[in-house]
Amino acid sequence: MKADIDITMTYPYPADRVWAALTSSEALSVWFMPNDFKPAVGHHFTFRARPFRALGFDGIVRCQVLELDPPRRMVWSWAGGSIDTTVTFTLEQAAEGTRLRMRQVGFDGLGAQLTRRILSGGYPRILGQRLPAYLGQAATGLDAPPPPDQCAEDGRTLLGAFRRPHRQIQSR
Amino acid sequence: MAATADRFAALADGSRRHLLEQLAAADRPVSELMSGLDISQAAVSQHLRILREAGLVAARKQGRHRYYQLRPAGLTELREWLDELEQFWHARLAALGDYLGEAP
Repeated sequence: MKADIDITMTYPYPADRVWAALTSSEALSVWFMPNDFKPAVGHHFTFRARPFRALGFDGIVRCQVLELDPPRRMVWSWAGGSIDTTVTFTLEQAAEGTRLRMRQVGFDGLGAQLTRRILSGGYPRILGQRLPAYLGQAATGLDAPPPPDQCAEDGRTLLGAFRRPHRQIQSR
Repeated sequence: MAATADRFAALADGSRRHLLEQLAAADRPVSELMSGLDISQAAVSQHLRILREAGLVAARKQGRHRYYQLRPAGLTELREWLDELEQFWHARLAALGDYLGEAP
């Protein structure tokens, strides 16, 4: 079971236009996050958001441009907290416009894989006893995880603040 | 709650992943956990301490032995964290679509 993030979107615009939106600091600050990005291999830059659990708590993501092959492929290193990952964008011409694939890999890969394997039933005892027991406890409030508000509020706020209605975009 | 980063760091080590796999099968005392690992009991205990601090493992006393057990909540929280990050990307890539539609 894979532990990476792998998303493909198709936009009804030519690749040059999508590439421009991916490689302009100004554009990125509109659709992604405030940043000091420059389209130059080796450039170190940061994205800044409000503290957000999924970005590594302090909301600062430290990146470097590792590869740049206009208008086809761009690779960033992406570190937040002690998470050290790689983000790769690849663009491909499609009948409907441009297909953009975004992959984020390196969540101490094997560890994340083990997590998903255990939770997805690779270990029957966990699935059969422990997890249901834990979920039961959580449901009755005994030894429950902290209320979502305590740990996910920033994330939700951030997502909520940025989320807009979807247009006709294919996602698979 | 342990930081997600600590959890990933705890999982980054092969010996600790091996310990987790053993504990996924059954609760075990340190003596049993040493099988399959070519390291000292002190080293195993040190790895278990890191796993406990990361919230991935818990310990309980039973008779003279201390049994270690997997803490599924720790793993669930890690998976939720990954899911949250994935949602974040989905939302941002949808916003890119909006931006492309609005940009001159």
